[in-house]
Amino acid sequence: MEYTGHGGKPLVERVITDKAEAKKKIQGLKQVPANRQMATEAIGIAYGFFSPIEGFMKKADVEATCKKMELADGTVWSIPIVFDISDKEIADYGIKAGDSVCLTYEGNPLAIFDIEEIYSFDKETIAQDVYGTKEDKHPGVKRTYAYKDKFLGGKITLVNEPKVREPFTPYFLTPRQHREKFKEKNWIKIVAHQTRNVPHSGHEWLMKHAYIAAHGDSPVEQMETMGKAISGILVNCIVGEKRVGDYIDEAIVLTQDELRKSGYFRDDIHMVTMTFWDMRYAGPREAVHHSIIRTNLGLTHHMFGRDHAGVGTYYHSYQAHHLLMSIPKEKLNITPIYVLEWAYCPHCGEVTCIGLCGHWNELQKFSGTKIRSIIMDEVKPTRLIFRPEVFDVVMDAAKKYGFGSPFVTQDYLAKAKPAFTIEPL
Amino acid sequence: MAETYPINIWINEERFKALQEAGLGNLLKEELAGMKVLIVPCNEQQRDKILQLFPMAKYDAATTKSIELLPKAVKDKIYDLVVARKSLNVMDEFIASVEKG
Repeated sequence: MEYTGHGGKPLVERVITDKAEAKKKIQGLKQVPANRQMATEAIGIAYGFFSPIEGFMKKADVEATCKKMELADGTVWSIPIVFDISDKEIADYGIKAGDSVCLTYEGNPLAIFDIEEIYSFDKETIAQDVYGTKEDKHPGVKRTYAYKDKFLGGKITLVNEPKVREPFTPYFLTPRQHREKFKEKNWIKIVAHQTRNVPHSGHEWLMKHAYIAAHGDSPVEQMETMGKAISGILVNCIVGEKRVGDYIDEAIVLTQDELRKSGYFRDDIHMVTMTFWDMRYAGPREAVHHSIIRTNLGLTHHMFGRDHAGVGTYYHSYQAHHLLMSIPKEKLNITPIYVLEWAYCPHCGEVTCIGLCGHWNELQKFSGTKIRSIIMDEVKPTRLIFRPEVFDVVMDAAKKYGFGSPFVTQDYLAKAKPAFTIEPL
Repeated sequence: MAETYPINIWINEERFKALQEAGLGNLLKEELAGMKVLIVPCNEQQRDKILQLFPMAKYDAATTKSIELLPKAVKDKIYDLVVARKSLNVMDEFIASVEKG
């Protein structure tokens, strides 16, 4: 079945699943190694996470993305997806426009790359237009400045599917698989919760808020009986490059799932998956990018809270909301749900939306930093702010996967196995 | 009043009882739905010294305005000093002990 992706265009799927055919297709092609980011993005392109793009971007697309937040054909697009390469590598591999090469990852064939264009692009322009700053303190800008001097544009065809390791295996679904799963569940409305966090109850309430908002005009009978829900929450965890101090990905995915396993969400309305993507921390532009990915996964709604995908003080708290509001509805086929913070009110004795509670001076706001500090001190938080089952899973993940810490350490960066590998073909 | 740059030491039930028994319950504050926290103040020089001695730590100027990401073992030592001295003003002594090795 053909599915429609972002921009009303067919969902991209450029994957050769037959190994014999794949081997035949790459025979005689020059081999060009891809680094982790490029390999991750080649996989994302081929499975359609970034539909409608079918390959690494050509210059016209990068230019339109920077200047107009569109692809060259007018489809909304906010972050350049580029393949960088040095002049020396171009010479060493003997690459020229019109060539097809075999991209390899860690020595094994990954994808066929039909190189249509070799170009250069001013990195400061990307920085200013996409991130709103040229400061290399911004992690997205730093990543941009680290790109080599030339870019290759052209279509990607995956010839060797990634092997996703435990505990991630059940959580990695392609866009097609997401849609098949939703069909199985009879979900008509699905709201995305973007995360790279272990959930505290502030996050839990954001999800509940978004679910109720998305479900608001549906018959309640559909929700009344277990198994009859026609709306769902998809927690889509971003798994990618980590920084020291981040939660380890294993803890994020497993704790999000624990919320359902422990009954804080019903089995038939909650699901956890993951998407491979290196966060750019592009704030509002990254929010648009997340909308595009989740449209391609088949979602109908997307929750956006405070400081979506931001970093430092580069963007104001609700800048992502304002950018999304400026995009005509027909250009982004997912309905944003804008949510305010939830906080603990000692007067109410409960977690409440700060937009509803009148005890302004008493509210105790959730702070990710504070929660991390509590977890680092190995103190079990009260269940009102952090579910005990979630705490147990965090500590267990620390032992099993984090070399004793639920947070990324230098040790974790050096020793943790990558989330996916490419096996010999 | 001079600005302080605190270290938050979160207190579990066991330590809460111990602090109460030692008559130090008054040093605790309640945050986030009844969580107990010992807020150990640092002045600017102490903050800078702590960040230098423990490079994994960070001063969170944006949200909590406190020194964060200190390992549990480090906070445990500060906690022990607070209990031993029955006072929150222990940072000079703590820093001196670390420097002494």
